[in-house]
Amino acid sequence: MIGWKSRLRLTGWLLGTLTVIFLIYQWLPIFTLGLLSFSGPTGGTTFPMNGTSLHWYEEVWRATVMNDFKPPLLRSTLLAAACAVTTIVLSTMAAQAMRGRFRGNGWFFYLMLLGIMAPGILVGFGFAIMMRLLGVELSWDTTTFLVQVSWTLPFGFLTMLAVFNRFDTRVEEAALTLGASRLTTFRRITLPLIVPGVIGAGLFGFSLSYDEYPRSMFTIGPDATLPLAVMAQLDRQITPEIYAIGTMTTLFSLIAVTLCTFGLWAMRRSTSLRRA
Amino acid sequence: MSTIRVRSPASYWLAVPAAAWMLGVVVVPIVLLVWVSFWGGRTFSTTSPLTFDNYARFFANQTYVKLAMSTVVHTATLMAVTGVLGYCIAYFLTMKVRSPIWRMALFLAFIVPFWTSTLIRAIAWIPFLGVNGVINQTLMFVGVTQSPIEAFLYSRTGITMAQVSLYTMMAAGPVVYMLNSIAPALREAAMTLKAPPLVVFWRIVFPLTLPGVVIGQVLVFLNVMSDFATVATIGGNKHALLSNLVLLFYEGSQIRAASVVAVLLMICMLIGVVAALRVVDIRRLGADR
Amino acid sequence: MDTLAQPSRVDEAVAPVLARPQLDLELRGIRKRYGDFTAVDGISLKVAKGQFVCLLGPSGCGKTTTLRCVAGLEEPDDGGVLIGGKEVTRNPPWQRDIAMMFQDFALFPHMTVAKQVAFGLEMLKKPKAEIAKRVHEVLTSFEIAVLADRKPASLSGGQRQRVALARAMITEPRILLLDEPIGALDYSLRETVMLELKLLQQRTGISFIWVTHDQNEAFSLGDLVVVMNHAHIEQQGTPEEILQRPATAFVAGFVQGNNVFRGRVVEVTAGLAKVATAAGSFLVSVGPSPPLAGDEVSFSVRAERITDIVSDRHLNVLSARCTAVEYFGSVRRHIFERADGEVLKYDQFGAHAARIAVGQRSTLGWQPEDSVLHTGRVE
Repeated sequence: MIGWKSRLRLTGWLLGTLTVIFLIYQWLPIFTLGLLSFSGPTGGTTFPMNGTSLHWYEEVWRATVMNDFKPPLLRSTLLAAACAVTTIVLSTMAAQAMRGRFRGNGWFFYLMLLGIMAPGILVGFGFAIMMRLLGVELSWDTTTFLVQVSWTLPFGFLTMLAVFNRFDTRVEEAALTLGASRLTTFRRITLPLIVPGVIGAGLFGFSLSYDEYPRSMFTIGPDATLPLAVMAQLDRQITPEIYAIGTMTTLFSLIAVTLCTFGLWAMRRSTSLRRA
Repeated sequence: MSTIRVRSPASYWLAVPAAAWMLGVVVVPIVLLVWVSFWGGRTFSTTSPLTFDNYARFFANQTYVKLAMSTVVHTATLMAVTGVLGYCIAYFLTMKVRSPIWRMALFLAFIVPFWTSTLIRAIAWIPFLGVNGVINQTLMFVGVTQSPIEAFLYSRTGITMAQVSLYTMMAAGPVVYMLNSIAPALREAAMTLKAPPLVVFWRIVFPLTLPGVVIGQVLVFLNVMSDFATVATIGGNKHALLSNLVLLFYEGSQIRAASVVAVLLMICMLIGVVAALRVVDIRRLGADR
Repeated sequence: MDTLAQPSRVDEAVAPVLARPQLDLELRGIRKRYGDFTAVDGISLKVAKGQFVCLLGPSGCGKTTTLRCVAGLEEPDDGGVLIGGKEVTRNPPWQRDIAMMFQDFALFPHMTVAKQVAFGLEMLKKPKAEIAKRVHEVLTSFEIAVLADRKPASLSGGQRQRVALARAMITEPRILLLDEPIGALDYSLRETVMLELKLLQQRTGISFIWVTHDQNEAFSLGDLVVVMNHAHIEQQGTPEEILQRPATAFVAGFVQGNNVFRGRVVEVTAGLAKVATAAGSFLVSVGPSPPLAGDEVSFSVRAERITDIVSDRHLNVLSARCTAVEYFGSVRRHIFERADGEVLKYDQFGAHAARIAVGQRSTLGWQPEDSVLHTGRVE
């Protein structure tokens, strides 16, 4: 008979194997996408690659055969930046408001949660109808912006709530007893301490907006964002060019994640000081 | 005492912009959808009479009803697969990996794709699933089949495969959180009360992680129900779920029909979320333990 | 109950042990290492039937690890654990005749008090009716029957403690392990709870192994007190033995009210050893195996054995300045500054007027038989 500890270890190995298999399963397509984006000029959408080249990246840049992806990329970036800034401001305000425990804060919380729970397809579709009723022209920088913020804001809000939950209000009390006004205290004490969280909320906003698809689809107007342009291309023809774009956006997202992890790490460090 | 007074006017004013935004962009449009789904007549106008005809027409069509049923079945399948898989992975990461560095590395490897574009990740499955795709090439190389299997790309199997890779993390994340909050002494206490490991899991660990499981299932449920993009990317035009039907009607300018499907989707989701909220209080999750 | 402990091959090897079943627990040189850190370094201990044992020591001394080795929550690298004469060193916790009370009680947050208490019996696969009956009995005897349907989150510290105790005791284990069981309670509750636990232990005859860093707990509860330091046992004995005859400088220093001196033996004559210390030379009584001249030794004098009414009869005298006076109930403790920089504690009993004021210099004295030469290992 095997000992009980080794039996537990066996379970560990089984679960570990499952985890590793899943990780491979999860990552393999992403790596394959990256690999195929470097296939030769005669390469197709699957193996063999027929040599390696930067051909498809050049194609994306020159945009001779396909739609030009550069304007959608620019639009997506601008839109994501605008969403990030709006998310930061509104979510910090909203989280600070929650600390004031105003009457109805429970409903407010569920309202924000609804933004995460409500599927993009419903929000996008409903908002498009509303705009049509109101007679508003759809456009990426107005209607799409409005809808995307309703998607990024709740995530930023939850991030800021978590930040304030870990926040030690005694430092604020200390400043207030030293004669600082509430506004000064917020500006001089609170804000610097929550900056890593604020950056986190901003990155959340940027990355969610940048990849957003269903809401944008219903509200976009004539000029597409990057995910929409990719989807449109997919409908017509799949070429390694799409893989090249996918690889680039994925790398871009990974950089954002790295920054975010770093920000969270910095936040841990700054909040761990209070336990000393 | 903090930088904001409890129930001060300031706390209301600070909440107003976010609340107005969410009301105007999420709540009003969804209410509008319900209204539009009852519109009679043919013109797009607020003066349309209200009727149940749109719903009657939907349920009269066997194809649509079947589609709704298959959406539910498909979603349930994904919930089951990602639920079991996600729980196993979450349990391994939190309970079995001892080294903090390895745990962090595996955890990051697990959640990082969540931050990349879901659309791109769905597209990444195309080279795998095609007739000449990686899976078929591998199967033929190994000698399992002689001719390529066409069952992957443009098939339910292919959609399921891709969605499992997309959504398992959502099922696992909340479970990881709940598992981390279980004090090791609880399991030890059960063991000293003569409970062997399986019983400890079933009587102590699993009940305590149940809120995490439920939240994870809700997330998967909501996402799969409304994920028309993956279905369109991998299923091509051969396969559709309810959410694709919304898009189909919308593109065909059948706003009323699209609204009906959207409302039905919404009802399904509401039932799911309300059922889940009865089990757990989501607001407690963000707070410090 | 004994059917729980699985019969194993080792049984033949430990057959002699079965011949003296009066031992509830025996530890044979158990050792446990975590990487470079040795948590338990060769602990041996024998606990007779129905004893109240206190493992006493500073934090990090290995007392909790020792307890966890008994529970089976840790597997010792070396040595053996015998419960009721049966070798269980490699047995998992659920195959040992023990129960345990945890520091923060480790109540299951999702179970009501009644469910919680029933858990142990359910694990023993008792019939439902019997479980219900026993749970009711136990809840009543612990005066928590009214809490039966409450969950732990709504209980006070004292109530949680009772529930945890009821949950552990209901299975009637051979040994109850308690890891700082009253450390999480309010100070005012502790004395009452201690008394209750002592009475419970005496009534049930179950052996208690109680881990604590609080010497008051250890000395007022334990039949046997085991003082631990740096992963090994410094001394084990009755509270009187440890208080009156500390075996090592550590024990003497750890136990309140001792003055510890370290020095070198100058000469040994007629039951007395002359020890030269940094605070002066003193005569110490020695036992049947006296030290040799030149040995490094330590000895201690209890604070209440010292007097400030010194006469020619006193063989040990010491002059020092009083730096502080503290009051503990009927005891007045004077803190003196010794020549070697350490403090000298002198306790005066009774309510009579203070004879020594802070800042005053006094001469203190004691007899050789008031001091104890430490026989344990010198560090």
